[in-house]
Amino acid sequence: MTNALTRFTDRLMGRASAAVTVPALDGALKPNNVLEELPPGIAGEAPDNIVIWQGAPLWSQGKTLLTPDGPCADLGSPVTAIVANGTRVAVASGEHGLRLLDRDLRDVSPQWTQSVRNVTALAFAPDGALWFCSGSSSNAPDEWRRDLMEKNRSGLVGRADPESGDILIRAERLGYPNGLVIDPDGDIVVSEAWSSHLLKIPARGGAGEIVLDEIPGYPGRIVAREEGGYWLSIFAPRGQLIEFVLREPGYRKAMLREVAPEYWVAPAYRSGDSFMEPLQGGALKQMGILKPWAPTRSYGLVAELGPDFVPVRSFHSRAGGRRHGITSAAEVSDKLWLTSRGAGEVLTIDLGSKGESA
Amino acid sequence: MSLATNLKKMRYRYFPDHVVGEMLSKNWIDNAIPFAIMVVVVLVFGALLPNFYSASNLGILGRQYGELGLVVLAMTTVILVGGIDLSVGSNFALGNFLMLYCLNLAHLPVGVSALIVVAVCGGVGLINGLLVGYLRLRAFLTTLVTLIIVRAVVDLLLLEYAQDMSMSFYSSTLWDLMGLGGLGQIPFSFLVLAVIAVIGHIVLSRSGPGWRLLAIGGSRRSAYNMGLPVRRIVCSAYVVSGMLVGLAGILYAARLSGAGSDTGMGLEISALTAAILGGNSLGGGRGSVAKALMGALTVLVLTNGVLRLGLNSGSGPMVLGLALLFAVFIDVRWLKNRHKLLNKVYVSPTLMEMPEPRTTAEGPLTVNDRLSDVEVIALGEVESPEDVILDEDDYLYSGSRHGDIIRYAPPDYKTHEVYAHIGGSPLGMSFDKDGNLLVCVGGMGLYMVRKEDRSVHLVTDETNRSLFSVVDDSRLRLADDLDIAPDGKIYFSEATIRYEMHDWPVDALESRGNGRIICYDPKTRRTRTLIRNLVFPNGVCTSHDGKSVLFAESWGCRINRYWLEGPKKGQLEVLLDRLPGYPDNINRASDGTYWVAIMGMRSPALDLALRMPAFRRRMARRTAADQWLYPNLNIGCVVRFDDNGEILESLWDRKAANHPMITSMREHKGWLYLGGITNNRIGRIRLEGRDENWSGWSSYWGPNRGPNKGKGRPAA
Repeated sequence: MTNALTRFTDRLMGRASAAVTVPALDGALKPNNVLEELPPGIAGEAPDNIVIWQGAPLWSQGKTLLTPDGPCADLGSPVTAIVANGTRVAVASGEHGLRLLDRDLRDVSPQWTQSVRNVTALAFAPDGALWFCSGSSSNAPDEWRRDLMEKNRSGLVGRADPESGDILIRAERLGYPNGLVIDPDGDIVVSEAWSSHLLKIPARGGAGEIVLDEIPGYPGRIVAREEGGYWLSIFAPRGQLIEFVLREPGYRKAMLREVAPEYWVAPAYRSGDSFMEPLQGGALKQMGILKPWAPTRSYGLVAELGPDFVPVRSFHSRAGGRRHGITSAAEVSDKLWLTSRGAGEVLTIDLGSKGESA
Repeated sequence: MSLATNLKKMRYRYFPDHVVGEMLSKNWIDNAIPFAIMVVVVLVFGALLPNFYSASNLGILGRQYGELGLVVLAMTTVILVGGIDLSVGSNFALGNFLMLYCLNLAHLPVGVSALIVVAVCGGVGLINGLLVGYLRLRAFLTTLVTLIIVRAVVDLLLLEYAQDMSMSFYSSTLWDLMGLGGLGQIPFSFLVLAVIAVIGHIVLSRSGPGWRLLAIGGSRRSAYNMGLPVRRIVCSAYVVSGMLVGLAGILYAARLSGAGSDTGMGLEISALTAAILGGNSLGGGRGSVAKALMGALTVLVLTNGVLRLGLNSGSGPMVLGLALLFAVFIDVRWLKNRHKLLNKVYVSPTLMEMPEPRTTAEGPLTVNDRLSDVEVIALGEVESPEDVILDEDDYLYSGSRHGDIIRYAPPDYKTHEVYAHIGGSPLGMSFDKDGNLLVCVGGMGLYMVRKEDRSVHLVTDETNRSLFSVVDDSRLRLADDLDIAPDGKIYFSEATIRYEMHDWPVDALESRGNGRIICYDPKTRRTRTLIRNLVFPNGVCTSHDGKSVLFAESWGCRINRYWLEGPKKGQLEVLLDRLPGYPDNINRASDGTYWVAIMGMRSPALDLALRMPAFRRRMARRTAADQWLYPNLNIGCVVRFDDNGEILESLWDRKAANHPMITSMREHKGWLYLGGITNNRIGRIRLEGRDENWSGWSSYWGPNRGPNKGKGRPAA
């Protein structure tokens, strides 16, 4: 009773839980310009998920899979997630759902016991099981902005057995899970984007535990590093105005109804293309210059996490930059490969020389 | 349209949200709570007590009020300077005793006796003052000691003379008048208080000594640092306090003609309660005579009322104590939170339904890159050239945010000089018939730079105050753009009366009609407001035929026409609306049409928010100003339209890289010059197929001025 009353007064006054606050980019997440200063990468149309397959990068882009040498497979429907394990590749795409591909990218899937939709991320466990995230029950991954603005929590995490085709749902009602990784103990760590945290789900069952909270953006795909630690892609920034709009049902619903999606007050992979996009006070140019700390709806950020999921260092592309919307990262032989959805570019960072921990 | 929507519209049309913030920004708002308490106390006791409003009761109350009011004024004087005077009670008793002694035993006349009493009580104040002011002792302890000592002295004197005094009885007309009479129904002591209060008010609010007193109370150290005689003023505040108390003692003596050991007992608590309850800040520096009087009335009615209700003997002090506690609580909370509250409630958005904008995908407004080849002038050397203008010798002028008018030399404008320094933020400019430059200066008003000697003159900085405005809106806060009619009258816009120069875009968040069009007549030298409640009136331009004035309402995304003569004289009509952006300065084009700068573009998200004032209000309160949804002022364009309100063409720069923002443009001899308020450069671009000899000044004042002289069709 007191709780409900407190919540009500908080909402009325905009205090405590209803206060519109956003964690700062600080500590290991202190902004830099590493992504913006990288040499031009491989241009493409919205590259999405990059993985290391047989020692070389492989990424998805629309319906195709690409390597640095060019396209290597057309999967018939938009690919929403891929993962590689040895010679095998697991792919999730539009209508086709989950598929397992062999060394020559031929379909070797078993008969799945149930169909899985809107898959946003995949991971192989050491035991060979394929874990997957489904971001939302109602919105395809391309419609993630709508899913956020509808305040859905309809994502789930499940396990698919590549041998038997059994599919088991492990966790439900998640706020857009779109990245997962198996930690050395075999537990599953999921990035729950709409809650801006990483959630550890014990493999043997039981309640989840938050391992990294208050991320200043929407966390996406997460991959393990060989020498321990993880790369976490943070595909869009949180902003006070967006958080505020999320707390304003009247405006939010009217916006979903009446305004074209590209002009929503919502995070995005890229921004600044049209003068009809919303603009915030701090983003007014002064003397022809946009401040790099201006409020922005898109941002480029990939963070390295330690084995305990605490951020260690990060690479940024700030307000007004181009390399925004980093959706995935993959590391091979001292090089970090990144997909920037905002710039439509596959970038590489030479880890040997760059970005010592902040 | 549903009922709810209509109700919402009515509510925003008729309920003046913005007044709340404006009232909070006034100084008299400090009186609001004390005044409310006073009214409640009077009403409650008026209802509880029989005959409360009867003439006799009011007469008795008035007589007591005169005495208490003087003591409260004494206390207030000391509190204002940052101290406290606890000795008022015993000093009051001393005054009372002395007066009776002088009259009854020393047989002095009333006037002389009164002077002696005031001098002696002032002497007690002087002792306090010397100790507190010069020796820097703690006011609280010092006056507590004086309280005890003076009380002891009075008791000793009473022991000695009480019997003698009770034997004799002094009587004179004047003395009886003081004690029993007055002016008609108004008691004598009340009149004394009124006179003292008026003098006190004038001294505190309108005189040097009063200001210095308040300054010391506000910050003793700062006052000392700026050279005020802190010690002397503190000391004299105590002397004044003592004298006022002495006066009150005289009036008390006249009323009761008796001296007892309980005279003035506990008076210091009553006076302190009254001073604080009236809203005088215990910390000093904030307060007024009016507050003291309000507090005195509240306390008098309260204590008298409790007495007359016949409650237990302890209840009077109890009520007083609780009132003091309450007053201190209010004092602290109010001081701490008033500015926070003001910050939160000042931005008060209103309902604004934006019409569907004209398309920029096709037609004359189609986005293009015609401005991408803008030639840049003075890059990095000028800041905030809101407007640009050229004279007949091709010199280019612009304002800057440093308050300068800068002149650039033709033909390539590579060199420039400060033509004149005005201050403020020079915005719109115009040349008059004699080549003098008239400038609207944000924060200052309308100024003129004379051609012959470049001297700066104030033309006008105030207009008539509107009848029902809470804040004084006669000063010009944000004069924006001007133009001159053929008869020499200057028409100029004041964009908003609620925001200063540096946060003018916040006005877009309100989108209330906060602006006005003002006319200055050089013949009569009078300034008067022509049209009020305009939504950020901005660019002003007299039509080619000189019969009307065009002006832009920026947040309304429309251009209006105000008729100066002809059949529609005095009428206002919308010439061009549904613009896709926010129109700024308007200027004449060479072919009988007009240029208008679109300083920023509308976004659907903001248009939607404009329909939801409560959403914007919460946004302003709960998120930082940097995060607010703003009009997109990072990109704009230049549009040409004619007298029929038809858009003819538009010039854009999609990337807005070369010349980021446009608030103004001038056509001059085949070129178009561009200014932008957030820019550090001026732009110019060659126009195709325009009249190479046409200039703005000649169009207004040259031999070929007027309609039908350009290539375009005549004005409608």
